[in-house]
Amino acid sequence: MSAPVVSTLRQPLTSEPKSCHQVSDEILAPIERGPTALWWAGLAVSCTALLIGSVAVTHQIWTGIGTWGLNKSVGWAWDITNFVFWVGIGHAGTLISAVLLLFRQRWRTGVNRSAEAMTIFAVMCAGIFPLIHMGRPWLAFWMAPYPNMRGPLWVNFRSPLLWDAFAVSTYFTVSAVFWYVGLIPDLALARDRAVGGSWKKKLYGLASLGWNGSARTWSRYEKVCLLLAGLATPLVFSVHTIVSFDFATSVVPGWHSTIFPPYFVCGAIFSGMAMVLTLMIIARRVLRFESYITLGHIGAMCKMTLMTSCVVSLAYMTEWFTAWYGGNPNEWFVVVNRALGPYRGFFWLMVFCNMLVPQLFWFEKVRRCLPAVFVLAILVNVGMWLERFVIIVTSLHRDYLPSSWAEYSPTWVEIATFIGSFGLFFTGFFLFARFLPFIAQSEVKGVIRYARAPSGGGHAR
Amino acid sequence: MDASDSPERPDPARPDRGRPLPMAPSTPEHAAEPDADEDRFDLLRRREFLGLVGAGFAGLALPECSLHRPAEPIVPYLEQPEELVPGVAVPYASTCGACPAECGVLVTCRDGRPIKMEGNPEHPLSRGGLCARGQASVLDLYDSGRRKGPASGGEETTWAEVDAAVRRDLVAAARAGRQIAILSGTVTSPTLSAAIGELQRVFPTTRHYVYDPLSVSAILDAHERTHGRRVLPWYRLERARAIVGIDADFLGAWLSPVELAAARALGRRGEDTDVPAAWHGQIEARMSVTGANADQRIAAAPSTHLAIVLTLIEEIALIRSRDPDAVLPPAPADVPDLPGVRAMARRLAEAPGRSLLVCGSRDPDVQLAVNVCNELLDAYGATLDLTRPSLQLQGSDAAVDELIAAAADGRVGAVIVLGNVNPLRDHPRAAELAAALDEVDLTVSLSGRRDETSERADVVCPDHHPLEAWGDAHPHVGVYSVFQPVLAPLGDTRAAVESLLAWAGREVSAWEVQRDVWREVLFARQERHISFDAFWDEAVHDGVLALESEELAAPRWRRPEPLAARPTAAALADGELEVDPYASVALGDGRQASNPWLQELPDPITRASWGNVASVAPATAAALGLVEGRVVELSVGGATMRLPAHVQPGMAKGVVAVALGHGRRGMSEVAANYPTVKMFGIERELLDGADVTPLLAVDRVRVRLTDAIEPLAKVQRYDYQTEPFTGKTRPWARSTTSGALAAASAPAEHGEADHAEADHGGDHGEADHGEAAAGGHGGGHATLWPGHRYDGHRWGLAIDLGACTGCSACVIACQAENNVPVVGKAEVRKSRDMHWLRIDRYYDGAEDAPVENPDVVFQPMLCQHCDNAPCETVCPVLATVHSSEGLNVQVYNRCVGTRYCANNCPYKVRRFNWFDYAHDDLVQNLVLNPDVAVRTRGVMEKCSLCTQRISAGKSRARTEGREPLDGEIEPACAQTCPTEAIVFGDLNDPKSRVAQAASRGRAYHVLDELGVQPSIAYLGRVRNRADEPHEEERS
Repeated sequence: MSAPVVSTLRQPLTSEPKSCHQVSDEILAPIERGPTALWWAGLAVSCTALLIGSVAVTHQIWTGIGTWGLNKSVGWAWDITNFVFWVGIGHAGTLISAVLLLFRQRWRTGVNRSAEAMTIFAVMCAGIFPLIHMGRPWLAFWMAPYPNMRGPLWVNFRSPLLWDAFAVSTYFTVSAVFWYVGLIPDLALARDRAVGGSWKKKLYGLASLGWNGSARTWSRYEKVCLLLAGLATPLVFSVHTIVSFDFATSVVPGWHSTIFPPYFVCGAIFSGMAMVLTLMIIARRVLRFESYITLGHIGAMCKMTLMTSCVVSLAYMTEWFTAWYGGNPNEWFVVVNRALGPYRGFFWLMVFCNMLVPQLFWFEKVRRCLPAVFVLAILVNVGMWLERFVIIVTSLHRDYLPSSWAEYSPTWVEIATFIGSFGLFFTGFFLFARFLPFIAQSEVKGVIRYARAPSGGGHAR
Repeated sequence: MDASDSPERPDPARPDRGRPLPMAPSTPEHAAEPDADEDRFDLLRRREFLGLVGAGFAGLALPECSLHRPAEPIVPYLEQPEELVPGVAVPYASTCGACPAECGVLVTCRDGRPIKMEGNPEHPLSRGGLCARGQASVLDLYDSGRRKGPASGGEETTWAEVDAAVRRDLVAAARAGRQIAILSGTVTSPTLSAAIGELQRVFPTTRHYVYDPLSVSAILDAHERTHGRRVLPWYRLERARAIVGIDADFLGAWLSPVELAAARALGRRGEDTDVPAAWHGQIEARMSVTGANADQRIAAAPSTHLAIVLTLIEEIALIRSRDPDAVLPPAPADVPDLPGVRAMARRLAEAPGRSLLVCGSRDPDVQLAVNVCNELLDAYGATLDLTRPSLQLQGSDAAVDELIAAAADGRVGAVIVLGNVNPLRDHPRAAELAAALDEVDLTVSLSGRRDETSERADVVCPDHHPLEAWGDAHPHVGVYSVFQPVLAPLGDTRAAVESLLAWAGREVSAWEVQRDVWREVLFARQERHISFDAFWDEAVHDGVLALESEELAAPRWRRPEPLAARPTAAALADGELEVDPYASVALGDGRQASNPWLQELPDPITRASWGNVASVAPATAAALGLVEGRVVELSVGGATMRLPAHVQPGMAKGVVAVALGHGRRGMSEVAANYPTVKMFGIERELLDGADVTPLLAVDRVRVRLTDAIEPLAKVQRYDYQTEPFTGKTRPWARSTTSGALAAASAPAEHGEADHAEADHGGDHGEADHGEAAAGGHGGGHATLWPGHRYDGHRWGLAIDLGACTGCSACVIACQAENNVPVVGKAEVRKSRDMHWLRIDRYYDGAEDAPVENPDVVFQPMLCQHCDNAPCETVCPVLATVHSSEGLNVQVYNRCVGTRYCANNCPYKVRRFNWFDYAHDDLVQNLVLNPDVAVRTRGVMEKCSLCTQRISAGKSRARTEGREPLDGEIEPACAQTCPTEAIVFGDLNDPKSRVAQAASRGRAYHVLDELGVQPSIAYLGRVRNRADEPHEEERS
């Protein structure tokens, strides 16, 4: 990659000057040095969580959805909350890798690989929930419009749930392809550095699809990346728009709202950025990538979190205002009931986490204080999970006819399933950190001279 | 019988009705079949095996996939039994045996087994209605806890041995000059009476003790004092223009609720006006279904009822210029007048000869005063008929006392308890009776159920279920009805008539005896038939025989002795409350307590299922520090009952009300379709409740709070149409008063905001409903969707909230018709009840501002079959779609269970199968309707407007080359409704009853503003009352 000369007044993208060889060494170190005790411990914990979730899901599929706490009025609760939560998490990865690529934000190189990995695993976690929330998940393939011999049976193209199925599967496919294509030069490097004849060499060789590093290969690679970025970018907006249609097109007060698509997309990016922050703060420390994932990266992501928090807050307030100003008593009741009803604690915690907490990111001191950022990012994640819970459950539990009002509380199965989704996510993430280059080293090599004097002796700050 | 009073009700069933079954009368040999249960298990195993084998073969032979005959030889009928066409339902007329009211029924049989009971439209009393308990009694037939055969000393034995032993003991008792006591509830059956008479002839020491668990003994005794005859009048509510009920839940569980609800509805039906033609006031301690339906209601503790009736007498006498002192002493001066009582007296007195008092009090003095009041109102001979009185309840409260005294003295040698009572359980002196029975050599129970009495009896000679037996009933003078067996007895049981006659030395079948009795007693009194066989066949075919000529001489009014002055009752001690034990709509006296449908049926008022509650008024609850679900201990004498509290708006202060019939622990497990456990345990709760029968004998109890909390299994958790926090009203179960209606229709006041609530009579309905009736679309609502075209039929319902009493018969009818599973208490607590049709109950007022005596409105809620159905658009797999006749149909096979449709249903009527609801009780499964799929877990279900019945009706019409007649097709809910509040029909036919109802002024659609365009129209309730709810009480 050619590096255009950039003024040294700008901030370099790595905190220390690096040579290409150094980058290769350092980034591939986690793969080559073998697993550490900490890694084993982390994997053990996440696998345990995954196992707990698997037991819960097995029990639920074998016995019935009744093992959850749902009832005749509240037909969705933690299942769809978790689905929207995980899909939302995924959005930051695509945003960083695709949108920022198109906008030529070169700082993305330090975090795009891991953020995209996060997207993949998050969407996998998300995908589980619509599947297992079905009463008869073994018939999930009926959601696909495949040619069949059952007469005129076809899917209902008017159903947002069907759009969901298309949107999420498209999103997952494109994200996975994009991620994999980006990995190829790095896999080739791992192949080239592996000892000849080892299984590593064979596997990485197979996975790198015969990458030869020629100029033509590089040129095609960059074109494909750009094209895929162009393809992925609309998905960042479309997926969560469609997810929001599940609610927006319904007649349920509290769901039926035209503001949902932009509101959901922003919320998704908001929660995704918080999740990237959570992960990066740990990873840079554990994997010793402090010089690649710098405070500059953290700061930039904090600013994006702050911006999306403001948009989300605006959306909340718009929703409340519209409910009042629109004069629809049912809508207004939902708002009041959220604030004062049985789930008011969740509502106010959500307001605290999503509207107030991120305001601290206005301060540079906070943005540069990693423990603070970590705690705030976790709070944002909690808040965004609560947001989906509040939207789904408080709207359903008291809708139109007061005779059907009912309360919901989760069972151990739902809690275990949620824990299991984190298990799946972190298991995937741990395996990724261990077996795949955590940082897109080929791209980092393109920016090591960014904002540094051509001699290579530039200083970070 | 007043034929002019009963409206034309189409009778599609009659032409197809089954003639008397060519069934051999049940004889011991006939009944002694191999154990039916075992057989069915074998069958299942065989079927499972065949299924597996079949699946294997199907896999092998997939290319030529065709149906295979089973490997084993199957034997078809060599001769097709007459009338038994496989797969075709045949209705047989019979009589309901669930309670002493003895309504007429049609029993639907499929392939030789009864699956459903419906009201017999030709029955002069029940007029086609059937209550929840009647509907559920078909399930009692398949109760696997029923006795399978005779038992002696707890051991199963044979009829021959039992008969020998019983006869030996009876002979011994008779020789020793000791009494042979027959203890029973009211026996109206001429045949059974004849059998008892025969036993009395053979054993002259035989004495028949008759008591009723839900007694009206006080009414009978009062008439003895005022008319010289122990008689229960026929309440002609259809003739009344003003009714005051006192402590009588005659629309719920008192006396004969179907008959009385139907009669009351007839009387209230106005010609072309929305205002009911009759007025109904209710004075009661608890909130009953009847009180909830009253135009005006006064909550008063039971101890004040005498004073209230005396006040009524005083006021009525004043208005009618009669001298009350001539009949009774005036009301005690120290009793303060309750507001509203005198206004009620005025309304009664305004319609002399067309008004009456209906009182359910067990206090003879109160009943005497009621008779005086009715006499002052000229009710006798008009609204109270003593010439064709009711015979449904004839028991005396003294009967059991006498038996206990006699038995304790050792004067009784044998006690035979008939199956219609369970004295060791349903009588307040059960413990004393049990002790007295120890002095008796032989106790025989004829109960087919495993109840407390039969468990204690030396010998059990189980009677058939009413659907298995021949029998007859004589509920009113002039009305005879027939029990017709519709299947051979499932167990080795024997009719009570046969048992009694066997002991008297006659081995005859009940069928023969009954024919003999009918030949001797009834054949002679009719003139239509010359041959007895023709007479008999017609009676059995019709199920009911009305002998218009049969009537008693009208007894003359005699001035009763003045009431003895009563000592003033001591004030309630601290922690003491007056007690009001009542029969609930679901369980009545508790004889059907092992019926899971009834256990899961929510009480219309408390909306709690599975177990009883101690209801107290909000003020009383506050004084005691009670909250809902807090377990309280009621103690009286040595007995203590623990049950959860329920705070009941509208109750009288200082009273605790508890339902009878519960608390049958350890007798027979109620077979609910509990969720099937597959991996880890699932919460389950068995039958619950407390037995409060001892409270029938007392006026007050001590109440103690415990620390325990037991959440109620309520299906409705929010009771008001007013939102919390905002205080806004959601008037979707609409009601108004006749006064408000008149004010709203007066042009000058039309625009006034005060009367906005009443506007459903005016501006709202007309446009929409005229259009709904015409099948048009989109008139009032902008819509993006193209409307549906209905070229043929367009089915719809109209539900009159003014006629609906909330009695819940439709809920059970729907459950029986559509194989709706029972889920058990734990699941109901999680708000997972499965009823397709529920009856929402709202109080006026708000949760934070409860009204002391709130108006109550019931609203049956079921799938609204919307034109723009929100469920249809969101289902990803098209499992819920719109039919060409306006039905929203659910395709169970296609459903993958996303529950999106249920979330998007504004009426929350969709029900999800959270589990595999076990159908492990194979006997109980025989009640399943083969026309309706049993749903698997993971699929959504809901009201189909009984699409199977629509199909059947259309196909019947088609084979006869005609269009279905209006009223020919009826869903189960409409069929059973005693008050005809639910009307089904074709909205495309402007002349149909449903279209006409839907175009009435007070018709509206629930949640009309959503634009979903439901096919179910509701008619708002009009309370026949001057104006604001409590104005008259204040004045």
